[in-house]
Amino acid sequence: MVGSEEKFKNISDKVMKEAEADEVEVRIIKSNNALTRYANSQIHQNIGQEDVDISIRAVFGKKTGAASTNSLEERSVKNCLSKAETIAINQKSDPDFKGLPKPKEGKKAREDYVENTAEFTPDERAEKVKEIIEMARNEGVDRVYGAFQTEVQNLFVANSHGVQKFSRFTSANLTTTAIADWDNDQGFGWSESCSADVRDIDHMQVGRTAVEKGLNNMDTKKIDLGEYDVVLEPLAVQSILMYMDMMGFSAKKVQEERSFMKGKFGDKIMDERVNIYDDVSNADMIGYPFDYEGVPKEKVEIIKDGVANKVVYDSYTAGREKNKESTGHALPMPNPMSPLAMNLLMDTGDYSQEEMIEETDKGILVTRFNYCRPVHPVKSILTGLTRDGTWLIEDGEIKHPLNNLRFTQNLIEAFNNIEGIGKERKLFAMGFYPAYFSVPALKINDFDFTGTTEF
Amino acid sequence: MEANIFILRSGLYGGANMRELVEFGIDELGKKDIQYGDFRLSEINTEVINVKNGTVEAIKSSESKGYGIRIIDGGWGFASSADFTESGVKETIKRARKIARASSKASDTIKLEDIEIHQDSYSTPYKKDPFKVELEEKLDYLMEVNERMDIDDRIKVRKCNFNAWKTKKYFASTEGAKIEQELLKTGGGLDVNVSDGEDTQKRSYPNSFGGDFNSRGYEFFENLELLEHAEETAKEGVDLLDAKQCPEGEMDIILNTNQLALQVHESCGHPTELDRALGTEASYAGTSFMTPEKLGELQYGSDIVNIVSDPTAEGGLGTFGYDDEGVKARKIDLIKSGMFVGYQASREDAAKTGVEVSSSMRADGWKNLPIVRMTNINLQPGDWSKEEIVEETDKGIIFDGIKSWSIDDKRLNFQFGTEAGYLVEDGEVIKLIKNPTYTGITYEFWRNCDAIAGEDEWILHGVPNCGKGEPPQTMQVGHGCAPSRFKDIRVGVGKW
Repeated sequence: MVGSEEKFKNISDKVMKEAEADEVEVRIIKSNNALTRYANSQIHQNIGQEDVDISIRAVFGKKTGAASTNSLEERSVKNCLSKAETIAINQKSDPDFKGLPKPKEGKKAREDYVENTAEFTPDERAEKVKEIIEMARNEGVDRVYGAFQTEVQNLFVANSHGVQKFSRFTSANLTTTAIADWDNDQGFGWSESCSADVRDIDHMQVGRTAVEKGLNNMDTKKIDLGEYDVVLEPLAVQSILMYMDMMGFSAKKVQEERSFMKGKFGDKIMDERVNIYDDVSNADMIGYPFDYEGVPKEKVEIIKDGVANKVVYDSYTAGREKNKESTGHALPMPNPMSPLAMNLLMDTGDYSQEEMIEETDKGILVTRFNYCRPVHPVKSILTGLTRDGTWLIEDGEIKHPLNNLRFTQNLIEAFNNIEGIGKERKLFAMGFYPAYFSVPALKINDFDFTGTTEF
Repeated sequence: MEANIFILRSGLYGGANMRELVEFGIDELGKKDIQYGDFRLSEINTEVINVKNGTVEAIKSSESKGYGIRIIDGGWGFASSADFTESGVKETIKRARKIARASSKASDTIKLEDIEIHQDSYSTPYKKDPFKVELEEKLDYLMEVNERMDIDDRIKVRKCNFNAWKTKKYFASTEGAKIEQELLKTGGGLDVNVSDGEDTQKRSYPNSFGGDFNSRGYEFFENLELLEHAEETAKEGVDLLDAKQCPEGEMDIILNTNQLALQVHESCGHPTELDRALGTEASYAGTSFMTPEKLGELQYGSDIVNIVSDPTAEGGLGTFGYDDEGVKARKIDLIKSGMFVGYQASREDAAKTGVEVSSSMRADGWKNLPIVRMTNINLQPGDWSKEEIVEETDKGIIFDGIKSWSIDDKRLNFQFGTEAGYLVEDGEVIKLIKNPTYTGITYEFWRNCDAIAGEDEWILHGVPNCGKGEPPQTMQVGHGCAPSRFKDIRVGVGKW
């Protein structure tokens, strides 16, 4: 693949030299993505992708324009600069735009780049998948599904104020779904594992967990709708936290009165054991140490001891408030979704998942959620369904599997009703943007199930 | 450094050079001892303009060029690259083949359904190229639209946008296909977010997800008449703050086309994708309750429900000449007189099951692998008018404007919420209501469809953000429909 830090710097230097704009920003994202998908215990899709995206932001006064290309050819880059400048000239002034960020040093020095992940081959992925398939067959499960992905992400950002940063990281992610009884459309089980280092992925453990869940998820029963105590495994927690992030943790959402955090800063809005923060420097996290504007990512304590504390900023939203600086959470600009917390962690507690189940008189164990969507973002109401393993808990024991259930729940109320927090947390890739969450299991009381399905 | 062969051969990027590269690639593929190979090159240009609260939030012009190579050599292999050098093409072929060989470790023999092989070209018909309209003209118009929405202090965010995409595609296969296409898509919309400190509401026109989109030129954007709808949309957004909460219970519902398009998308489009039904999306998007043994057996809807997959529909966002494995666009029945009769199917899945190939394989850009994607999944018009439907409704709610959508991984249990609802009593629209939601089970819901409006009220909407696949791919699809009524549906879900 063409392109390296040095080449990116040369391209950027030329753009800076030739630009006529008052300010200019060059952002280059290079990604290598390899993914092996398997279904019905066969590899059915297997890909290798390489791409580079060069984006240029040109600024005249308070007018900005942006253009991008995926060609590193000198002529294409020149054309891209010319387009960005032309757009900026024809643009209207934005009084809230306070300029591109100035250079700043951050604290994260660690690079989450692991050669073994970057060099992992299609043969190695296929071998691991084959071993999962064979293990499942030996356990009597003829159909497993999933994906084994390895990727390398590179980000270079420079601007005419002297910002110049480069970083890269690797990520490996393995998922397995088992369908233990395809003919009768039942026996769904799931597991996954994510790490910067592919050697940390215990593929057999992932496969075994999915198969075990699938085999224990036969002959599901319906249950009356209503409020139940729930034990949410970490992936289920990740799903709802992701929507909490998108609905509430951004300065833009607060400024536009679209966040449940608006007007609540300093108030206790969740259980006092809840601490949610964005911190790429945490040892349990992977990602770039700076954002897509080249601003170092600060640790932002969003929910501190249950209190609505802070939200994340990019340079634009910081510029709209007095004495506020970007916290380093810009997406590739311009971007209506920016800023966004992309390295979220939740503090662990002192419960094991087994203890959560043991202390439940009547409740529901949830493996993960499917298709969650906000119903009312400011009221933090979310809906979604359970998937790939839902069980009834009675008298501290798992009784039997349940048909999947739909919840429609106010998340702030749910996080006020936390009874127990898991003592371990697990890392998950968000699925879009290089964003990661590290979260524990939760036991939540009075979780509202409003619908059920047929399986 | 090796020269880019586009530049080497003629010094310009353009059709002739792209064609040459594809021919070079397919020649190289032809030299390999492989079962099948195809080479797909795309050049994609996009333009987006977002105006928010009187300033321009974003103007961006993007271009992306590259190619993807599919190979069957014991198993499937796919590699994509933007390296246009001869060695880059050869290296990408080598990589795709290596991946295919790796797949063969856990792959049965792959068979592709025979198709007619084409050497042809196709272009989206349009009147006005949106990329040739002056930026200033588009910007001035959007600024005026945005200003027109500024009618009340409770409007915290007022947005409007313009989007255009132009894609040149070149496809060739080792079976002899050579297809060139130029696809053009245009659209836009507006929306407001309102807040009174206690509640927040949203209202959009002509729909959420940035408005409406078609495979047409700038004339489509002009015909949306954003300026004429700006004030009324903003006003209704403000009115929602004081509107009553949606009632709970069971009643008849009438879906306007912007919401019905999504209902068709989620509860008919996705479950009739054969790859889902066969399990190949089981670990991500999910499977389908519409499994092959139900084909021709399942009473999916009432006998007035007819749904087709139609990539030939004029102006549809999912309209094209050929899909990304060279199958000529064709219309097929999915639901006929309420019966489940057809699938959206790839060549591979058709060969496995004996169903017809449907021209549904599409990739998000050049970088991704083609997978089964909706084209235009259209509910055929009925013989009512919306006015008649309302007049003959004793108690019901009209749902308008997508706000919240969720469905299970077999596409059975769904729950939708819209921006606005209108309560109907004794055949008349009584009042605006907020936070309307409804829920149901797919086949029960469609069996309760008892009225569909006619051709005059039939609209072909564009949904620009359908997600599927790993890595995630986003696809533009179309859904045509007319306002329709569904009996005895549960509304007003959850605690408010």
